[in-house]
Amino acid sequence: MKTDDIQTISPETLQTEYVSPSHCIFSLTEYGFLSAEINGKKFGRVILTEAMPLTMPDKYICISDIEKKEIGIIEDISGFGEDQQKLIMSELSQRYYSPVITEILAIKEKFGNFYFDVKIGEHKKNFTVKDISKNIRNHGEGFDLVDIDGNRYRITDFKKIPAKSRRKLEPYLY
Amino acid sequence: MKEKKARKRPEFPPPKKDKLPPFVCDSLEKAGLSVKDAVFCCAGDMDNSQCYCDTRVFFDPKGLYVIFGEEEHPEPRKLKKHKAMPRYRVNTVVSIPAEDIDSLETERYASTGRLIVRKNGEQRPVTYFSLGLIGDFDRLIVAFNSFKETGEAKIRENPDEKNVCKKCGAPCPPGKDYCRRHAKTGGTAVRLVKFFGGYAPQIAAVLVMMILSSVTMIVVPQISTRALYDNVLANPDGKPVNEMLKALGTLVLSVVGIRFLRTLLEVAQDYVSAAVMPRVIYDIKLKIFEAMQRLSVSFYSSKQTGSLMDRVMRDANNIYWFFTEGVPRLIIDVATIIGVLFIMFRMSVRLSLFALISAPLLLLTLILGDRLFRRMHHSVWVHHAKLGSMLSDNINGQRVIKAFSKEDDELGRFEKTSMDTRNAEVKLGVTEATLFPLLEIAVLMLSTVVLGYGGIMAVRGESGMTTGTLLSFIVYLEMLKEPFGFLAWISNWWSRCADSAQRIFEICDAQPDITEKEDAVSPDKIEGHIQINELEFEYEPARPVINKLTIEVAPGEMLGIVGKTGAGKTTLANLIARLYDAKDGCILIDGIDVRDLKLDKLRKNIGLVSQDIYLFIGSIADNIRYAKPDATMGEVIAAAKAACAHDFIMKLPDAYQTRVGAGGQRLSGGERQRISIARTIIQNPGILILDEATAAMDTETERNIQHSLAMLTKGRTTIAIAHRLSTLRDSDKLAVIDEGRITEFGTFDELIDKKGEFYRLYDIQAQALKTIGIGEDEPKKETEETEDEKNED
Repeated sequence: MKTDDIQTISPETLQTEYVSPSHCIFSLTEYGFLSAEINGKKFGRVILTEAMPLTMPDKYICISDIEKKEIGIIEDISGFGEDQQKLIMSELSQRYYSPVITEILAIKEKFGNFYFDVKIGEHKKNFTVKDISKNIRNHGEGFDLVDIDGNRYRITDFKKIPAKSRRKLEPYLY
Repeated sequence: MKEKKARKRPEFPPPKKDKLPPFVCDSLEKAGLSVKDAVFCCAGDMDNSQCYCDTRVFFDPKGLYVIFGEEEHPEPRKLKKHKAMPRYRVNTVVSIPAEDIDSLETERYASTGRLIVRKNGEQRPVTYFSLGLIGDFDRLIVAFNSFKETGEAKIRENPDEKNVCKKCGAPCPPGKDYCRRHAKTGGTAVRLVKFFGGYAPQIAAVLVMMILSSVTMIVVPQISTRALYDNVLANPDGKPVNEMLKALGTLVLSVVGIRFLRTLLEVAQDYVSAAVMPRVIYDIKLKIFEAMQRLSVSFYSSKQTGSLMDRVMRDANNIYWFFTEGVPRLIIDVATIIGVLFIMFRMSVRLSLFALISAPLLLLTLILGDRLFRRMHHSVWVHHAKLGSMLSDNINGQRVIKAFSKEDDELGRFEKTSMDTRNAEVKLGVTEATLFPLLEIAVLMLSTVVLGYGGIMAVRGESGMTTGTLLSFIVYLEMLKEPFGFLAWISNWWSRCADSAQRIFEICDAQPDITEKEDAVSPDKIEGHIQINELEFEYEPARPVINKLTIEVAPGEMLGIVGKTGAGKTTLANLIARLYDAKDGCILIDGIDVRDLKLDKLRKNIGLVSQDIYLFIGSIADNIRYAKPDATMGEVIAAAKAACAHDFIMKLPDAYQTRVGAGGQRLSGGERQRISIARTIIQNPGILILDEATAAMDTETERNIQHSLAMLTKGRTTIAIAHRLSTLRDSDKLAVIDEGRITEFGTFDELIDKKGEFYRLYDIQAQALKTIGIGEDEPKKETEETEDEKNED
């Protein structure tokens, strides 16, 4: 048995601490970072991470302190009040922000690299995707594209982008 | 056309990313911001609300400045003709005085990064940026923090700046002038052709034979159609039947003779090609393999084994098939087209022009059809690849599938993927079945129209048109169909071959990260004195693995390293062996920086025993003498005895000649590890690194191996990384590492007395061992897993 395995099975780690909305209040620090008071204990800055970012962005959200130590898990943010939900979603949308592709202008393949010319809103952007079968990931109705620098781009709903764009991407989709 | 347009673009000067461009300086000066004292600058692409903009961040002794604005680049034409300059429009300026900043840091999110200012432990966000720019921002924070600390900015070299594309300024592969997007395929072709340089006479002979073969093909209709109809069947001079039969016989024999000659030429051509091509492919494969051996470990970590094997095997074969099948056919087809057109024009200029009017239309149809089919073929290929992955996943996971009784679910998954593949194939098949006859009809219509027009000419006797001439003209027209179709398709084949060639050249041209200095030293003996000073290392920007680590190991001393998975233990071992180079700080061996030592000298003096035991295909003796191929059998046995491997080896039917590795004798984990220890003993290194050498073994086996390890470490500087703390009891010093830093340091007893992290881990482990009934002083009989059992686990 390895050292870290032994650490992993310590009871406090094994126990899932679900945070009850009634015992958790989020607020913003002076510079706009999220802070929280959980079970009466104040945390200067907390970090929220999603357990299922692709399909359940508003469920199973892990709250950690600045040292990345887990404080607890929010099972579903719907239990929080409207203002609190806004704070949570705002923090998550910043952390999980992906530019949304609204139109695909061109996809060119050269030497195994795929060069995408796309529109993100009104902004034109080009990026390169390598190993296309692995770097275009399906999630529900849309896709996530990961370029060679690790940047992610999102197509939220494949059916809603222009037909021309769909035709350009279709041959490369699994 | 597009390529031509790209070539007209002005060439980019290599961007100096740590300096503000003049047009940005002008705009900032106009906005009242002085940039004359700017120390370091970096460009971002987002503002603080994650909207795209052209951000510039720089600092000077007074503070940090973040400018959100927009760059406007004139059209390339205007840039050249009117010498128009790019402009920078300043939207917002955020300035933070130096006294309000203790340090800068970056945070890494899913797709973006964030620059953050820290003051008295408080954090203040500055700006977001795309994740691809995190390396630039990391350089900014190093420069700022060092400037703040020492008054002098430590400016790290930007690897991207060394090599940028002349067309777009993007980073490009080492040794190249253009990025992959703007790389010219012509260059690839020239490099490929150079592989054939050593076989010039053979290639010339093949070319001559191909052209002759085309000529024989073109001549046949002249005899079998034109002469047959006009001179024999039509009997224009009214000769007797016997004479006509004689002439017919001569014609038939001529046709047979020409066809026989053609077959001979083809056989000879295939014979020479068969002798040349495998040699060329052998040269290419050898070149790739040679280049792969030269490259650093980081290259292998960033590439999948499958992809590399693909390059050696599939890519080389792609080139083989293109040059064996594609190029000869291309030459024959081009020669055929030229020859046939020449004959057609000689027969009738008017009819030829009439036929050629519709040819571009036909060619266009073929090209459009090819594009459509390429897309559909790709789709089918993608579905097949998915099906293949699923099948391999299923076969490899059979034990798990059965254990969880998931056979039906797996069948469902396979059915769905298989159905998608089937649908893609049906779509392709239906399209092919519809379009191919239409193309045939188009060609047939062209022939019919030519036949009609030629028929009118023949009836009217215009331009000397005869029945034989017309029929042979139609035959020639038919002969053009395939070559034109092939020409429309060959570009696709060439692009696949160029892809493969480019991938191969990428390996051949890749520069190893670890290079030896020209004046590298090679001391006679390495004593094994290791000094690690302020070492820093990261695999990815802003994710430090080793963080300002300082440690010293005296010659012959044993240092035990303890820490959680991911703490940086193995990375440290790799850095000592110089499998990677540190980002900052240094490692000295006997007072010499490892970067100044000859690589061969360094590596021969460092022995590495890790938990990933790799035995090469061959005998046990070959594996033991891997580091010293000229070792005598006596040395091999002595090493095996020292590693406690001799006894089990002698029990094997073929003893030291037992074949191991893939397809060889099954050995247990402990047996394999003992062979690897014997291999290191024979290497006789001054420095030994034991990287969790016994982690994959059960406690009893580990105990038996300990004796071998004790023999190995005797008199050598040893760095032992282990999870099981009890195995480090003999260490002279112990270091506990967490997040790349040393958190505790001392002897075993000192650390136990300290009752810190080491004591806590030791206590937990001792209790856990007690729970499973293993006492420290009760060595038990070795119960080892076989290699197969281990793999199955």
